[in-house]
Order: sequence, then C-alpha cells, then structure tokens
Amino acid sequence: MIELRGNAPASTRTRRAALTVMTTLSALSLATVAACSDGGSAAVPPGGGDAGAQAADPYPNAPVAAASDIPAGSVMEKIKKRGELLVGGSLDAPLLSQQNPVTGQVEGFDADLGKMLAKYIIGKPSVKIVNSASETREALLSNGTVDVVFQTYTITPERAEQVAFAGPYYVSGLAIAVKKGTTGIAKPEDLDGKTVIAGANTPAIPAIKKLAPNAKIVTFGSDPECVQALKQDRGVAYVQDQSLLVADGKSDPGLQVVGEPFTTDPYGIGLKHGDDQMKSFVNGWLKKIQDAGLWQEAWKRSIGTVVQGPAPTPPAIGSVPGS
Amino acid sequence: MDALLGNLPALWEGLLTTLRLTLLAFAGASVAGVLVATARVSPVPVLRAAGTVYVETLQNIPLLVLLILAVFGLPEIGVRAGLFTTAVVVIALYQAAYVAEALRSGINAVPAGQGEAARALGLGFAGSLRHVVLPQALATVVQPLGTVFIMLTMNTSLAAAVGVVELTAAANRVNLVEARPIPIFVGAGLAYMLLSSLVGLATGVLQRRLAVPR
Amino acid sequence: MSAGSRLLFDEPGPRARRRTRVATLVSALALLALAALAVRQFAANGQLDAARWQPYATWPMWRYLLGGLWSTFLAAVVSAALAMAGGLLLALGRVSHRPALRWAAGTYVEVVRTVPALLLVYVVLFGLPRYGLDLPLFWKLVVPLSVSNAAAFAEIFRAGIRSVDRGQTEAGLAVGLTRGQAMRLIVLPQAARRVLPSIVSQSVGLLKDTSLGYVVSYAELLYSGRVLANYNHLLIQTYIVVALVYLVVNASLSKLARGLEARQAGAARRAATGDAGRPAPPAAPEAALHA
Repeated sequence: MIELRGNAPASTRTRRAALTVMTTLSALSLATVAACSDGGSAAVPPGGGDAGAQAADPYPNAPVAAASDIPAGSVMEKIKKRGELLVGGSLDAPLLSQQNPVTGQVEGFDADLGKMLAKYIIGKPSVKIVNSASETREALLSNGTVDVVFQTYTITPERAEQVAFAGPYYVSGLAIAVKKGTTGIAKPEDLDGKTVIAGANTPAIPAIKKLAPNAKIVTFGSDPECVQALKQDRGVAYVQDQSLLVADGKSDPGLQVVGEPFTTDPYGIGLKHGDDQMKSFVNGWLKKIQDAGLWQEAWKRSIGTVVQGPAPTPPAIGSVPGS
Repeated sequence: MDALLGNLPALWEGLLTTLRLTLLAFAGASVAGVLVATARVSPVPVLRAAGTVYVETLQNIPLLVLLILAVFGLPEIGVRAGLFTTAVVVIALYQAAYVAEALRSGINAVPAGQGEAARALGLGFAGSLRHVVLPQALATVVQPLGTVFIMLTMNTSLAAAVGVVELTAAANRVNLVEARPIPIFVGAGLAYMLLSSLVGLATGVLQRRLAVPR
Repeated sequence: MSAGSRLLFDEPGPRARRRTRVATLVSALALLALAALAVRQFAANGQLDAARWQPYATWPMWRYLLGGLWSTFLAAVVSAALAMAGGLLLALGRVSHRPALRWAAGTYVEVVRTVPALLLVYVVLFGLPRYGLDLPLFWKLVVPLSVSNAAAFAEIFRAGIRSVDRGQTEAGLAVGLTRGQAMRLIVLPQAARRVLPSIVSQSVGLLKDTSLGYVVSYAELLYSGRVLANYNHLLIQTYIVVALVYLVVNASLSKLARGLEARQAGAARRAATGDAGRPAPPAAPEAALHA
C-alpha cells in the first residue's frame, strides 16, 4: 500500500484527528477489557460460563445426595472433588440455556436442571457450561471434556450407540410458525414446494426433507435471524422447536404458530457411553426433583413463562428406546 | 467415493452458485473499484475524503459482519433483495475497496512525467487518466488484482453463513447427511483450487498482453 | 505539492479552482443526500427509536461485548503467533537449496492459499470429530486460521527474504558463515524489518478472520453479538455496534501499519542517497489474503 503523498493537507489533518480518537478509544477499550477480564475459560466469555459458581442458589430446596450415593472411584466422586460440574450446553437458546449478558448467568430449563444436578452431587450449584453448539457432543462426552450434556439432546437409538442417556427429562417437538395472516399452511405437508426457514444444523432440516421433500430450505445461524428472515419474507414458514416458537410469538406479535408439534422429541441427559452407574444415579436424581416439584418449578420459571397452563407431567424415565 | 458421486447434483448446484457469485461479484467489484480509485485520486477534496472513508470502512470490518448486516438490515430500511443478490452486492462492494487500493498504488507507480506529457498534449484529468495513466497502471496492477480476485473467490464461501447454498454450504449439508467428510471436503477444496488457478492463469495471460514496452 | 499529485493534475489555475469548487459542492450535496436518505429510511422503520439503542448506553452490554473482543484478541494473537512461525518455516523452505523442501513448502502455500478459510473451519468442526479428533472450541477456530494464514505469512516473508540483495548472502558465505548462519544473522534481520508493515496488515486480516468464531460458536466479538441479539432481540442495532467496534480496532491497527511504512520509506530514502542500486523494499504484498 503506497501512500499517495502530498494529497491535501486537510486530509492529513482529519486523519491525524481520527487517529487520536481511535487510539484513545482503543486504549480505553483495552483498559476496560483488562479491568473486567478474569481469565475466563476459552470456551465462554469471561465472567460467563463459570458465573454459576458465584451466584446465589436459585433452588434452595433442591436435594443433595447422601454420601453413600457417591461410591469411591465413581465419576460422581470425581466431579465432587473437582467442585464443578462440566455441562455441554448452549449460551444462545432462549428459555432453555441462554446467557443473560447483564448477570453473566445462564438461564433456562436446561441450565436450571444442570445447576440442580451440580448441587445434588457437589452440594452447591456450581456449573461450568462448555459451549458445544456443534454436532460433536458425542465426542465431547467420550473424551471427558464434559460430564453431562443438557442441550435439547433428542434420544435416538443411533445416538445411544455412542452415548448413554438418562431421562427423558422433557418432551418437545417441532412446530411451524408463519407471518400473521398467512393462509394455506397448517401442517408440514403444506410446506412442499415452498421456501422454508430453519436453523442451521438443527433437526428441523431432516424433518422438513422427510415430510415436504420439495421444500426449499434456507438456513440461518440463530433463532432471531430466522425470525427476522421470516418477517422479511425470505421464506413462508419457520420450522423450530415449539417452545422456542411460542417464545418468539410472545415477543413478536407479527408471528403466529400454526397447528400442533408434528414431531416428538424426547430430550435426554447425555452421559459417557457405558457408564451405567452414573446413569442410574442421574435417573434417581431426576425422579427426586420430579417428586419434590422442582422439575415443575424450573419449567414454570422458563418455558412456563410463555406457555399457558400448569406444568406438564414429566415423561416416564426410561420410556424411550435408547434411554 | 460414493458419498461424493451420489451427491454430485447437490454439489454441482453449489459449484454453479459459487461460479455465479464469483463472476457477478468480480464484475461489480471491478466497476465499483475503478470508481472509488478515481474518487481517491481526483482533484475534488470531498470525493477524495469519501473514497478514503469508503476504503477504510470496508477494509476494516469483517465481510461476515457486513453480510449479516446487509441481509437483515437492508429489508428493515425498505431495500428488499434476495439472499443471492444481497451477497453478490456486498461481496462486490467489499472487494471493491481492495481493487481500488490496488489500482491506486498502480496509478501512483506511473512516473509523474507521463501525466505532465499528457497534459502538454492537451488532455484533461479524465483524458489523461484514461488514455495515458490507467493503461500503464493496469500493467503493474494485474498481479495484485489477481490476488484480490482469488481472495474474492475464497470469500464467496462466506455467503454460506447467510443462507446462500454455494459450494461450501452444499458440501457441509451433504456431509451432515453422509457423514463422510474427507471425500466431500477434499472434493470441494479441489473445486476451489481449480477456480483459483483459472484466475491465476487469466492473470498471467493478461499480464503478458498488457505489458507496456518502455 | 509533491510528485504524487503532479501525475494527474498541475497546481490549479483560477478556472480549474472554480471547477473544483463546483464539483466539491455537488459531490458534498450528493453524499449528504445519500446519508440523509439512509437515516430517514432507518427512522421511518423505527430503527432509530431511542428504546432500540438505549441498551447500548448501558455498561453490562458493553462489558459483554468487550469480553467478546478480548476473546477475539486472544484468538487473533495465538493464531498470528502460530501462523507466523509456520510462515517463517515455509518461507525458509521455499528459498532452500534442497528441491524437496522447496517443492513441499511451495505446494503447501499454493494449496492452502486457494482454499477458503471457512472450508477449513468446517473440516475441523464437522470432519475431524468423525475421526476421533475433537478439539476444544478455541482451537477449532485457531487451528484453521493458523493453517490458512501461515501460507499468507510465508509469501510475505519470502518477499522480504528475496528483497535482500544476494550479495549480502554471498558476502556472508565469503567470510566463512554457513548458509544457515548467513540467513539467520544477515538476511532475516533485514527482511524482518522490511516486511513489518505487511505483517501488521496481514494481522488485521487475521483479526477479521476470527469473526468465523460465529460459525464455530467460539465466543469472540461477533458470536457475543449473536448471543446478545438472541437475548435482547435487537439484531440490527447489535450488529451495527459490533461492526463499529471492529472498525475502530482494525483502523487503529492499519494506522499503525501505515506509520511503520512511512518511517521505513523515510529510512529507505535516506539510505538510498548513498546506495542508488539497492532494490526497493517489497511492495506490501496485497494487504490481506483473506477476509
């Protein structure tokens, strides 16, 4: 890049002024970064993932396992000694596992269950979320990067060959949202031949392909992007998990969820393949919090804020092939 | 190999989209780049400043950010265009900043005496730029421009992140279904290499033909 | 007025000055009209409402974004260090007198230069885990960026090494240095100084590349913007703020590159008065190869 020398003095002056502003700003930002960085892990922003450790216990009544439930040499004992539960999850799944930038806390149904499990093992809700939005959760579990996965992890027999599933702890399903006033779309088959929006790498893509083989699928990286795209007519419908769509409809009156969920997705708690000890331990915990009404409370605090009515009956543990 | 062959239609579609993206963005970047470069060397201070701001802004914001902003922001202010069109325009405008910089350094490499001689013959700003300075500048900028255009070819892959199913997105989708990453991604990589080497070849030919004997 | 501008126009006379003034007025008006139109369209669609911007006047939003910026820096610095080390080795390979080394380094550069960084990211993200190699998120971003930028740095270093006069090496050999010593003690120090501006501008390109963290879901600046937009549903405002942060940071870095370049041009001019036949410093090889 060779400078065009001797242009006009005026441009040099503006440049110099701009430089001063820029250096000041960047110095400022560096200073603030240095002030607020706390050497957070590489996987999540500083003050983000490990914020659970400092936070007050959101469920003071949640149970803690008896010492006899944690045998020596078990994974649970390892976690207890570490003092932190490593959870594979998301930071950007509203209602389920969404980071609140104001507090740094990760909030939602999945996140709360993770905290309760941590409390059950360790005695305090100390969780570190390892952001694992990609299709690599099996590998994260098998190489021990995370202890458990709470991330809309649908139980399937194929996946059960690589990981163990406790649960199911929740049943959801894919639904269709359209712009208010759209007619002629009531069920997935109506999408055939139309342009449909879906989140990149979500189960919506194979589901649409199966039920509406001639639909043209357009994918975007995140839920708000998909909503924006729907509002901007980049597709006639948006296929996504029902609870997410309901939440979107609440915050954006221009959106309408049509029909009932057309798939049944039982979510499981992902564990290392073959660890039957941990699996029955986690299933025991799940039963306890369901009996104590804590599962229902977590639902009310998250999904229940957008879905009307009382908390649903939790699915029977071990009721799904693969669990 | 089956993973690759069985999905050839999908990958071929993706390759065609990449080709179309590349060629259209190519053309757009060339036109916009010449305009911006002209503004940056023009005698009008406002235009020079505008050109500088353009180049500085576009070169310092990641293309991915610009793409996301354009795809979701433009419809909000009443500009409605398809995903493909938006991607072409954004990539073209982004690379135009690089084309303009390459052209400008080429223009500055032309000896001042050439411009003085052109004016002595009675040519104005536009005339001397078009007939005397640019032809000489072009010969020296073919190589840097070729690099910019290879960069453009690579950058078309970012359109995948805003919903355009070009070669990279097609490869990724096929891989999600087939779970055979090595043949699929290697195939896509080879296609990109082929594209880039075509650009390199064209650059070489152009360079020989544009060489100005001094 | 120095030589640069005399190429296209002389010191303007009265008529030319008047013409310039008119053109200034017209283009200023046109640009203002364009800006006004954009602002009007934003306002008409409610995108300028105070409520939509207010969150970005609060500290927690900025704390979150700056946290993202910090991760961006971290990824950029580590990738740059790895890419530069790799680039230096590749450059040495390309100027080596062993054909096999030359060929291997040349092939690496030619291949990697022509494969999009995003494709490499996809390979690491979706390809390698199938073969049992699942890197932590940070490395899923850093490894592909280092691999692709190593090729770019190699080209920069090679241009620098080549710009050092052959006589320098020959003189070194003549006084009994080995090839390696001559390279290390004589050629590289001179080359390094000459390519510094190119290295800085390539690093700006690399910093921009870290925005691919958006695809990897590594929480750098752009991905942090995405989490924020998910939370506050202010997609457009968030990404505009993110774009401005990138602009300020990268423009400052580019400024630094230009400052270095100007200082070197000055030094080169001073040196040239005593040594007319010396080759010019390499023209900054195409600022950045990648986005």
